Amino acid sequence: MEPVHFTRLDPYRLKIERRSPMRTWGLVYASPAIEHTLEKDQALRQVANVACLPGIVGPSLAMPDIHWGYGFPIGGVAAFSTQDGVVSPGGVGYDINCGIRCVRTALTLPELMPKRDILLAGLYNAVPAGVGSTNKAFKLGIQALNQVLVHGADWIVKQGYAPADDLEAHEDYGTIAGADPEMVSKRAIERGMPELGTLGSGNHFLELDVVEKILNSEIARSFGLFENQIVIQVHTGSRGLGHQVCDDYVHSMIATAGRQGIMLPDRQLACAYLSSPEAKSYLGAMAAAANFAFANRSLITFFIRQTFERIFGKSFEHLGMELLYDCCHNIAKIERVMYQGRQIEVCIHRKGATRALLPGDERLPIRFQETGQPVLVPGDMGRASYILAGDIGAQETFLSACHGAGRLLSRGMAKRQAKGRSILDELKGRDIHAMAASRATLAEEMPEAYKDVAQVVDTMTGAGVTRTVARLRPIAMIKG
Amino acid sequence: MFGSLCYDFDMSYTIIDHTADLGIKVQSMDIPSLFTEAAYALVEIMGAKANRPEREIALDVEGYDREDLLVRWLEEIRYRIESQALSIAGMTIETLTAQRLEASIAVAPRTSPLKTGIKAVTYHALEIHEVDNLLQTDIIFDT
Repeated sequence: MEPVHFTRLDPYRLKIERRSPMRTWGLVYASPAIEHTLEKDQALRQVANVACLPGIVGPSLAMPDIHWGYGFPIGGVAAFSTQDGVVSPGGVGYDINCGIRCVRTALTLPELMPKRDILLAGLYNAVPAGVGSTNKAFKLGIQALNQVLVHGADWIVKQGYAPADDLEAHEDYGTIAGADPEMVSKRAIERGMPELGTLGSGNHFLELDVVEKILNSEIARSFGLFENQIVIQVHTGSRGLGHQVCDDYVHSMIATAGRQGIMLPDRQLACAYLSSPEAKSYLGAMAAAANFAFANRSLITFFIRQTFERIFGKSFEHLGMELLYDCCHNIAKIERVMYQGRQIEVCIHRKGATRALLPGDERLPIRFQETGQPVLVPGDMGRASYILAGDIGAQETFLSACHGAGRLLSRGMAKRQAKGRSILDELKGRDIHAMAASRATLAEEMPEAYKDVAQVVDTMTGAGVTRTVARLRPIAMIKG
Repeated sequence: MFGSLCYDFDMSYTIIDHTADLGIKVQSMDIPSLFTEAAYALVEIMGAKANRPEREIALDVEGYDREDLLVRWLEEIRYRIESQALSIAGMTIETLTAQRLEASIAVAPRTSPLKTGIKAVTYHALEIHEVDNLLQTDIIFDT
């Protein structure tokens, strides 16, 4: 395989030179320390491969949490013209709208700590987690599932499981428009039916954090954040339903790409021109899966609020449990963006990246007009997470930012390094209490398996893409 | 009854250290055994091996070419394990052309949770090629 040629532009960015058959260059946000982590795998090659797809606008981008994925790199962002560009199901990924939400509370660390373990156990019982986890207490019929696929988080609100106020705190208000359940296969429906309100496994988690440090007091105040405050993060997605949608459409688009004369550097980048019926079918199915994911995180939040109410003997409103924000990590959306001084319409693929709307963006509700959209960046189990807001440099990334720390070690390598160790005890040594459905998942997800999220955030903020608002420290978590 | 379908699960695959997910490298003498070895690797990784089969299921899978067929075949096995809660005791490929595979798998209800969640079989860098007179392929799973 031909090596990828790149040069350093500044302390925060690498440029991948355009070589045939690339249609554009690559731009990777990476400090020298992050660049060092890219030497061993194929992530930069994947940035170059994405640059080969038709109708790409601007460079093929990668955020500093970049690592080797399949097709697109994780951390990849690419915009395609709606006139002559493509949509790629592999560019969205299997876990469609895998995403993160943060619920703030009015509780402080001293108020929570005496109840930490009983709360953790209560949450572990309330939220199904683990490989193939299903929700036996909440069975959906086909009609209800179709409503979920069309309406997303709004369906959860209509059923009385979440307050209406939550909706404004979602990307796209918790419903991706254009969802078409008819475009979702029977097998995908079958996989999704028992899984609404489940965490799943792998890197999915439910975490209690304390706001350790406020780094931008003005924005933090507007986001309702203060030091010593307890917040809750939930990271999960569309579960088996989204995986099946992706699998169905990658398969069918291999044939579509052939018919449409699109050369693929990697079959996982199978795609179709956005103007084609095949692309429209996928976007309808993808939106449906994305809405399932919004509803999934919303229902999990209902279980979390119920648990807090039971343990603290107060209503969730009294406990100040309000949704700060919920955003997608794996998604393709038609958006209008400024490019070379003019407004154009593109299909932006974010594969392990977060939308980062700037202050004044008309898509934001009033509460975020002055600050811009909250950008939630979960780190690993042992160190920190961050809350950011977009900055002017995000115009270069089609209003996108990093989505996490980014893996450093393979799952196999992590397990080998964890052999003979108790990750639970090590976390306890850092005053972090954890419960996990699987010991193997804990080993795979141990802190050293990830880059230092502080380096990732420093790169984004140093490049002017984000402003750092607050740093969180984990105190308790559930892993699948 | 299903003796011909039983397999000793003497694996001939290696794990690839993929950063985000999980991959395997499989080698075999010919295409049918490459497909079988890859399927047994998947069963082993997911922790879905049955000791005693209870029934047999016929699978009929189509693909555009042999690489696509390999993904469709593995995806079919993955689906039976995850969504139909089955474990696998053995398998026999009866017909295999460049675009079609007919097989029988011997199954039993799965009684224990899966060891590893494999959520999809990807096409990433998938190619069946010849190395030292053996057929070889790398397969990346989404975990």
